[in-house]
Amino acid sequence: MSTRLKSLLVKELIQFSRDPIIVVMILYFYTLCVIICTYALTFDIKELPFTVVDYDHTPASRSLIEHFSASDAFKLVGSASDEDTAVRWLETGEVRMALIIPSRFDASMRRGESQALQMIIDGGNSNTADFARGYAAQIVAMFQTEVAGPNNSSAAAIKPVVRFWYNPNQSFTAFMVLSMIAANTLMVAMIHPAASFVREKERGTIEQLIVTPVTSLELFVAKTIPTFVMGLLAVFPSLLIVWMFGVPMRGSLSLFLVLTGVFLLSAIAMGVFVAVLSNTLQQALLLAFFALFPLMFLSGSMSPIESMPKFLQQLSLASPLRHYMDVILGIFLKGAGPADLWLQTVLLLGIGSSLYMTALVVFQRRAS
Amino acid sequence: MNSTRVAAIVSKESKEILRDPILVSVCILLPVVMLFLFGYGVSLDVDDVALGVLDFDQSPDSRALVDAFAHSGYFRVAHVFQSRSEIEAALRRGEIRTAIVIPKGIQSDLVREETADVQLLVDGTHSATALIVGNYARSIVIRHAQSFAGSIQLRTRVWYNPALRSINYFVPGLYAVILMSFPPLMTTLGIVREKESGAVQQIFASPVRSSEYILGKLIPYGSIAFLQILLVMATGYIWFRVPMQGNLWFLLTASIVYVFCTVGIGLLISTLTKSQLVAMLAAYMVALMPSYLLSGFLFPIFAMPYVLRLFTHAFPTRYFIETSRDVTLKGAGFEELWTNVLVLLLYTIGVFVLAAISFKKKVA
Repeated sequence: MSTRLKSLLVKELIQFSRDPIIVVMILYFYTLCVIICTYALTFDIKELPFTVVDYDHTPASRSLIEHFSASDAFKLVGSASDEDTAVRWLETGEVRMALIIPSRFDASMRRGESQALQMIIDGGNSNTADFARGYAAQIVAMFQTEVAGPNNSSAAAIKPVVRFWYNPNQSFTAFMVLSMIAANTLMVAMIHPAASFVREKERGTIEQLIVTPVTSLELFVAKTIPTFVMGLLAVFPSLLIVWMFGVPMRGSLSLFLVLTGVFLLSAIAMGVFVAVLSNTLQQALLLAFFALFPLMFLSGSMSPIESMPKFLQQLSLASPLRHYMDVILGIFLKGAGPADLWLQTVLLLGIGSSLYMTALVVFQRRAS
Repeated sequence: MNSTRVAAIVSKESKEILRDPILVSVCILLPVVMLFLFGYGVSLDVDDVALGVLDFDQSPDSRALVDAFAHSGYFRVAHVFQSRSEIEAALRRGEIRTAIVIPKGIQSDLVREETADVQLLVDGTHSATALIVGNYARSIVIRHAQSFAGSIQLRTRVWYNPALRSINYFVPGLYAVILMSFPPLMTTLGIVREKESGAVQQIFASPVRSSEYILGKLIPYGSIAFLQILLVMATGYIWFRVPMQGNLWFLLTASIVYVFCTVGIGLLISTLTKSQLVAMLAAYMVALMPSYLLSGFLFPIFAMPYVLRLFTHAFPTRYFIETSRDVTLKGAGFEELWTNVLVLLLYTIGVFVLAAISFKKKVA
């Protein structure tokens, strides 16, 4: 390593250690933030408050209600005497779903007639509503099978058995922990170098660096290494959290660390690129933010990439976070190896190096 | 409080903002980009899921079941397998998201009215999708089975958003989230930048009082925030055809309270921090993240554990999201929502009082 680079690194290290709050905040993003989000966030519905209007009042109708309230998905908050009451509760948001059991429900079921059971769902949250609809259909089907018995003609003849692979109890924990770590890694690795770079511009110290024999490349390397090292070290407390939540590690830890390093480089490259474009910290941070948002968005950590329109799916290939999500989920949950992940690695390296090159060209043009 | 001095600060601040092309374009573009991404990108609606089929039965019935999947609009038959090991490899490579295994003798079972087990294998790594895919698959099988026999039909009616359009749900939430993303960040950075560069000392040496300084900062950033919300509302209404069932003026009034609240949070952060990077991370921690994740914007609050449900009350966004969703989708008004507006108002007052106290301490 050249002495110039060494002294630049020492300078960066001193600056880094002067700001202990940053280290605390970064630790927060890698640990506490991940824990809170993992506990709090689930797309699935749990204990959706619902009410029931039972016009039938027979053991059969009560048993149906029992089926609903016994499931994890729904929680009975009180039965309404008539539809108007149920509607009022829906409007105030006390309940999100109302089940209306018609009179003669039991009687017509015994006679094997087709009949309609009504359900009103608050569609305000379309995802929740979708889940609720699916669960309700299953509960009704189950109820029907049980009541009618296997030999009755109204029994559902085919029983679906669903198995979820890689994540058999379908908890969101594994997905949430891993995607929060990936997203926070991106944020920290992008903002930190951008801020330390632009701060030199704002204070005018960059001019001093430019007149020294230090080359632009050395400057870039010196701005990259502290964040890179910090990012790699910060992975360890998050690994502890991953372990705490009982997420399995089916792949190789060293492969994970190597690919995390590759991802960090591409994220830092974005930060450097943003820094080269902006003159003030305010600009840099806003630009970083402007970039972060779509990057996280198109990564599949918020919503599945398959449900996006085609052009967004193609655009998502440019988001390093998308490839890193494949890496982190693949290694931890599926036990993926280098053979499964080489494409992601190549793409990450490609994104990173092209950003560094562009940033270098822009920087040199502006400096001269 | 002297209005000329406030006006002077406002005009200085506005000039600084307008002179910065990056700042102006980010302010205008980002809310629109966010809206379009959410509008077109975020939906958990699953369609066109790659399905693998392993049919041991090869009978008219098993083919009918596969057809039911293919014609459901949710699945696309991507692979037909001959053995179980092929399924495993395809799932690992991500070529298929789900697979259906139809056992031998499904037809004879059907004829004998016995229960036949159809296996559905779902890639569980992306949990949100997996659950939905699992649900769809299950209900297709159930519906298919029920077509053989008379049965109870569940008639579902979805209210307030009958087509279950995700956009109707996201856009009113975005009003709240966008306002919590920008104003706090911009206000904080606007003030902390002057702290860092030392310009704030010059201002304090002038006859400008701290309250005038704060007001002069709040007005331009508050106005930008308000323009942003108008922009997003107009785009949502005109482009995405999000309904407006309730009273627009009521929603705008609530927005003004909320705008003050968000700008106030920015102010509070700026009094507590010295460097822009710390200020930005702090804004991210207390304003942005909670407004996305703990507000009910994407993730339903009722599904959270009790302690965290209490925690969500600490952030104002959930109250505004509820307000804007109920006004736009349900047509609710003051009668139903006055408590939410009151909470926002109290929150705003609280934030300003705290900011004033900590600001006085710093200056003195």
